[in-house]
Order: sequence, then C-alpha cells, then structure tokens
Amino acid sequence: MPYFEQKSTRPLPRTGVDLAGIKFKNPVILASGTCGYGQEIDDLLDLELLGGIVVKGISLGERRGNPPPRIHETPCGLLNAIGLENVGLERFLSEKMPWLRKIDTAVIVNILGNSAEEYVQIARSLDRVPGIDGIEVNISCPNVKAGGIAFGADPALAAEITRRIKTVTSLPVIVKLSPNVTDITVIARAVEGAGADAISLINTLLGMAIDVKNKRPVLANIFGGLSGPAIKPIALRMVWQVARAVEIPVIGIGGISTSQDAIEFFMAGASAIQVGTATLVNPGSAAEIVAGIASFMDKEGISDISQMRIP
Amino acid sequence: MSRYSATCHIIDQVRLAQDIFHLVVDAPDIARVARPGQFCMLATAHGGGLDPLLRRPLSIHDAWPSGRLEFLYRVVGKGTDLLSQKGPGETVCVLGPLGRGFRPEPCGKSILVGGGLGAAPLLFLARSLDRMDVTVILGGRSIHEIARLDAFEGAAGEVLVTTEDGSRGIKGLVTTALERLDISSSSHTDAIPCVFACGPWPMMKAVYAWATAKGIAIQVSLETQMACGTGVCLGCAIRPSTQGRYLHTCKDGPVFFGTEIDWG
Repeated sequence: MPYFEQKSTRPLPRTGVDLAGIKFKNPVILASGTCGYGQEIDDLLDLELLGGIVVKGISLGERRGNPPPRIHETPCGLLNAIGLENVGLERFLSEKMPWLRKIDTAVIVNILGNSAEEYVQIARSLDRVPGIDGIEVNISCPNVKAGGIAFGADPALAAEITRRIKTVTSLPVIVKLSPNVTDITVIARAVEGAGADAISLINTLLGMAIDVKNKRPVLANIFGGLSGPAIKPIALRMVWQVARAVEIPVIGIGGISTSQDAIEFFMAGASAIQVGTATLVNPGSAAEIVAGIASFMDKEGISDISQMRIP
Repeated sequence: MSRYSATCHIIDQVRLAQDIFHLVVDAPDIARVARPGQFCMLATAHGGGLDPLLRRPLSIHDAWPSGRLEFLYRVVGKGTDLLSQKGPGETVCVLGPLGRGFRPEPCGKSILVGGGLGAAPLLFLARSLDRMDVTVILGGRSIHEIARLDAFEGAAGEVLVTTEDGSRGIKGLVTTALERLDISSSSHTDAIPCVFACGPWPMMKAVYAWATAKGIAIQVSLETQMACGTGVCLGCAIRPSTQGRYLHTCKDGPVFFGTEIDWG
C-alpha cells in the first residue's frame, strides 16, 4: 500500500511501495554488486532519494573473489566474473552496518553460501540487527563453483533453502532468481511455496567472450554473467511470466537504465525494480529514474505503481 | 574525497599524431580538486546512447585552477574513436577525479618515466614538483609516439627522449636512458631519487627492476579493464604482492608503490 507522500503545492503521484512488509519510499532500489555497501557512492548519489539499496552479497567468511581479468564489455552489455568478493558477515556487521543504518532508505542484505547451512547461519545472524529491512537470497550467482546457481537451478533445493531461512529469521525474505534455467516459473513457484515473501529477477545471464588474438577466453573464470541493456528484453519477458505465475510481489531487474525501462517492468507486473549496471555507467542513474517515474505517473494521472500493470 | 559528475564543454581537441589526441574541457569542480595521477571516466556514446555502454577511464594529463582539464589519449577502440570525433562547442560527461594518484615524498631527483601514452599523467605530476629536480624520460617506438614534448620541456629541468627506431633522441628503450642517468645529481645532494612510471606492462616491469636494483622507491600508474571507476563493481582487480586481498585499480590505485603489486 502506498504510504509516502511528497510535499508539493500540487498532488504528486504516490510512488511509495509496501512490498513484502518493507516500506519503500519509491520502487527504485540499487541492485546487489553494483553499489558496494552504499558508502562507496554516497558522494555521487543521494541514497535517501531511493527506495532502497541491496548491498554486495555477503558470505559467512570474507571472499577474495576471482582472479583478473574479471570484466569485459560487450555491445550494450557487461560480462563480469567478480566471484563474490566481499568482506564477510562479521566485517559487514561491524564496519558497514553502522553507516548504513544512519541512511534513511530501506537496507536489504544479499546473502550467499556454499551450503544450505551457511545461508541459514548468515540469515540467523542478520535477524534483529537494527537497520536491516530485509534479506535477498542469492541462489543465482553464475560465477562461483559452490552455492549460487547450483541452488537456483533446482526447484527442490531452492525451496529447501528458502524454507530453512524462513524458520530462522523474522525479516522479509526475497529470493533472487537465475535466468539460466529452462522454465523460471517452476523455480518461482517452488520458492513461493516454501514461504518466500517476494521474488527478484533476473540475475545475470551466463556468457563468455574469447580473445581471438591470444586464442583464449577473455575472463580468467572463462564464463561470466551478462548484464546491462542487452539483457533487458529477456528480463522483461521473465518478469512478465513470473508475475503471472505467483501471488507474491516481483522485483524486476535486468538492464534498467531509464525511467521508461522501469515503467516497462511495472507494466509487465513488477512491484518494484532494481538498477544495476546503469549505476556503474552513471552513478546518478537511479535518482534520475525515480524522478522520471514520478513525472510519468503525474502526466498519466497514475496514483499507484500497481495501476501500471497490464492485466 | 570529492568527486563530481559533470557535463563539460569541450574547449579544444587536437589530433597530435595518427591516433593520438589532446582533449581540453572546462571542468571547474574536477580540475580544482584533482591530484596528479588521478583519472576520470568519460562517456563516449553520442547523444547519451548506450553503445559503448561503459565510460572510458583516462588519466588526467593536466588540471588548472581556471577549470581547464586536459586529457591525452590514443584511439584504441570504438569509445575513444567516438570521443576523438568531438570538438569545441560540444559536451562530454566526465566523472572525476577518481582514484589515488602519485604520492611524492621528500627525495632527491624525481625521475618520471613514460612509455608511449603512459606519458599522459606525468605532465601534471612534473608541474607539481620542483622543476629543477625533475627528469622526464619519454619513450616510444618512433618520434610519432612522443606527445607534447614542448609541454614536458617547459615543466621539467631535463627531458630525455628514447625511440626504438632512433627517429629522435636516444635509440633504444626508456631503460637505455635510465642506465645512462646520473642519479646522484640533485639540488638536494645525497638525497635518494624516486621514480614515477606509467606505460606498457613490460616497460614498467623493466623500470621496476632497474629501480629495485638501485634501491630506489618507485610508484607506477596501472591501467586495467574498468567498469565503474568508483569502487563499487570490483572488476578492476590486480594481484597484490602478498597473499591477501586483491587490489583494485580504481580505488587503491591507479598509482601503486612497486612493492604493492605482483609483477608475475
């Protein structure tokens, strides 16, 4: 339900979104892995203008990530194989949360593990930590051998992890799905059945590039995840499918660079969206998208994001 | 840390050689806080387009209190090609200044070594140092790769040029010039010199080996593939000299002490 109203002499659209029990000022959220822990880009983007931020995926222990080269640009896209480099749970709580909890925006912690037990341990540790509004479960990273996609491609495993996390936390649980499956609606229904409060999609598409001159793959990891405008049509199609397969809210992700892109996702059935690669290109993208959505709703006389959905 | 995202007017863009360009933009916020060795991300797609998607990292060639911000770059692909087509009256989106630049410490002579377009960040550095204590060595395959020699001669007490084909200066590599250098001569007698290098990896490796053998501290400016330039994507990892965390060119660098990185 919308709860946020901007002060203005004329009535502005209600861009607020209440999703899975989390109150977002507006439906624009920064995607995990493209905004660090927030503080890194705070000088270039006012996080308080946004609905929320999903921090870089957190594992139980610190992770070093993959060897370089880790990234490669493709037409309208970016291949990455960062390998989930992150500070680990302990340092996240002691070094990153004190700053994050001062920021007036929803904070969602993306979590990942090598085993179901690790996901459970992290989720348990995050429960009741002040300033955390929700958990996004990453069962879809294509760049690590253990965990990630191994869980996201198997409906039974995805459901088991979701169910176990739900038993140890009171926080809303968002499950982030991988597009690297035959039928994404099967996984979506499985995690919904296991108690997920919302679904976010899509994570990156598995891809690769070859260095013809040196006759070898460009990325040290060989494969990487493709993101950016190049994947938007696929993401939009999958959001459309999942939004019609489940009852829980869907957060759209995939190549969103402009407010028009975001509106397409709302029309496809997303209740909110995440901005990822666009922030790497232009740190101010998400704030521009917020303004663009408000202006579109104003112009079209739309009072709630959900009204945009195509039946 | 002050970083700005600005749409800047192009004051001038000059082609200096076949594929080498000197770009001057008006960027007051960035130019006033920029330090030698830092870089900027420049959008290259025309009309706010999405291809090329990523901005291009270019080191700051020079920066002035007036707001004048200069870049010296080579056209290596689609992005830099599109950038090179822009001229006065047009604008370019610039994000910067980014990263950690050179950290000059009290020393004797400062030896600045640039290979090819690796010379780009060294002019701003030379101008920030005591002119008479600066020796610049510029190396290239031929005279066509030695850019902005006049500007370097105005900013440094001594400028040595090396070319592999002998078309200008000393025939050979930058290390040929280094071997001949009298490193003891400095206005601060007895003080140990320091080296600042930027260029192709094999060149920097050779300069690092030379400096290390002489017990001279060296800082190098590195170039890697980069997506964000701001420290959020972690794509620009480089191997550290220790077993610890990877370093990131955009925030830990682009300038590193030679001892910080794994030379392979």
